[in-house]
Amino acid sequence: MKTQLKIALFLIATNIMMLLLFGGSIYYFLYNYSYTDFYKRLETRATIAAKYNFDADKINAESFKSIRKNHLERLTEEKEYLYRIESDTDLKEVAKKSLLPLNFLKNIVANNKSTLQINDIFYTGIRYASHNKVYIVVVSAKNYYASHHLLFMRNSIFFAVGFIVLITTYLSFFFSKHIFDPIKNITDRVKQISTDNIHLRIEEKNDDNEISQLISTFNNLLNRLETAFETQKNFISNASHEFGTPLTSIMGEAEVMLMKERSPEEYQQSLASILGQAERLNQITQTLLYLAQTGYTNKRVNFEILRADELIWQTKEMVDKLNPKNNIQIDFSLLPENPKKLKILGNKQLLYLAFTNILANACKYSGNKPVQVTIASSDDQVFLVFKDQGIGIPEAEMPFIYDPFFRASNTRNFEGYGIGLPLTRNITKIHNGQIHVSSVVNEGTTVQIKLPLAVIP
Amino acid sequence: MERTILIPIDFKIESLNTLKLALNSIENEHANVVLMYAEYLTDSITELLFYSPKKTIKSLKSPEFEEAISIIKNRYETVIRSIEVELFHGYNVNAFKEFVEAKKIDTIYIPKNYSLRLSKNGFDPIPLIKKSKLPYQEIGWETSTYTSEQLQLNALFSY
Repeated sequence: MKTQLKIALFLIATNIMMLLLFGGSIYYFLYNYSYTDFYKRLETRATIAAKYNFDADKINAESFKSIRKNHLERLTEEKEYLYRIESDTDLKEVAKKSLLPLNFLKNIVANNKSTLQINDIFYTGIRYASHNKVYIVVVSAKNYYASHHLLFMRNSIFFAVGFIVLITTYLSFFFSKHIFDPIKNITDRVKQISTDNIHLRIEEKNDDNEISQLISTFNNLLNRLETAFETQKNFISNASHEFGTPLTSIMGEAEVMLMKERSPEEYQQSLASILGQAERLNQITQTLLYLAQTGYTNKRVNFEILRADELIWQTKEMVDKLNPKNNIQIDFSLLPENPKKLKILGNKQLLYLAFTNILANACKYSGNKPVQVTIASSDDQVFLVFKDQGIGIPEAEMPFIYDPFFRASNTRNFEGYGIGLPLTRNITKIHNGQIHVSSVVNEGTTVQIKLPLAVIP
Repeated sequence: MERTILIPIDFKIESLNTLKLALNSIENEHANVVLMYAEYLTDSITELLFYSPKKTIKSLKSPEFEEAISIIKNRYETVIRSIEVELFHGYNVNAFKEFVEAKKIDTIYIPKNYSLRLSKNGFDPIPLIKKSKLPYQEIGWETSTYTSEQLQLNALFSY
């Protein structure tokens, strides 16, 4: 079932329920009220009848009668019964004479008054004492109001409910259809967007409702997709360039050598240069392979429990071998006292690779100025901060630092391929960590890595 | 020995450096830390009706701030017995003295050259502390030096 139909049916059902409840309760309460009211009217009449029959002298009785005639409406089939009661046996005779049920009469005597309904005739009787004598006065009439007015009202309520149900049905369908119009528009528009025309966007409205939020979310998603596509394209051109340069130089070198005969020294020199270029190619392919391997997050790597501070020390030793002139300072002033708070779950080789990359870069781009490494840990993660005083990264180029083969514009004097940082990010991702790079040109770069603490039982 | 120390904060990570340096000076002792944030109490009766210090503190605390506190807790695990954040609503010296007495504060540490950056209703309690003539210790660090050791705490969250 479509949501549209669901909403319409729900609206109709609740509306009908409310209407029925409303109409039904009006009818029910009015019905009850009309009965009690009618009995009360009969009682008044009985009291008046008793008054002018037994209580008043002759002159007053006449005026009572005329007042009653002139001012009280005559009810349909109104009848009066007046009896004098002297003992209980009289009741039976009265019952015989008046055809009223004996129980009813007994009730009147016992409770001073009583009501009764036989078919559509209503009876109200009262016990009336006057001049030391006891009387029973019963007035009966048909309830015209109940039989006619109530019927009329029931019919009109039925018609009204039916009419309103028709209207609400129409409105529910109308609204449920049009409420989904904007969503349908979005669906249609998104369907049009494919890889060929990913620059297309959904038209944004300026109001701040849910639909506009949905649209802007979609557009943001498309923006990110578009950049991802572009990165992919850039990657291919950058990669072919990186591979092309050493290949061209190998080919050029070989061609020049083959032009004429050369001395063995020249051959040796040229072969050495070719070897150097081939090694460079090999290195690029290897790091690329690493990048590709770490890119699959679903591939399970062997994890073990490691101590973050040990890792940093070992990485420093490694960097010391590669670059003996480095100036790495490890700062322990925030190191937690409890070694448990330094244990992380990770793959040793991969984390070495990531940290070596960061530290080697920090030393390289700062010309061996001091590099500060801080270790701290909160209750659920380890913070590693690498701070250098190097050339920095221009702010405009920050969004691209994780693109493979991207190199910042101020790095021309330094050797490198631009694979290190993407590789480091992939590795932190595998470890469920976060990496953040902030930088100021010519002041330095700060790389912050957060890794979740291992849960040790 | 155990003592209670009071440090005014502004819920910025930099203000926690006072705590860090204060703890550096405490050795072979245990400390209960009270971080005090001074704020004017609202005048509106309807707002006071729903006043809750817990909620106020929660809205002022950023996740980074809590993380920084947990880093300090881990660093000085043997020294710190407890850390609590308290709101101070007083206006005058007497109110502050009452606060210090109620919390059984032994030492007050205030930053020397860092001025608290306060949000909406907050006020700077440091002049009040100085005026109260209660003994306090000033702790200073250089706010601008890039490599200064004391600034690492900010470096952890410098984004």
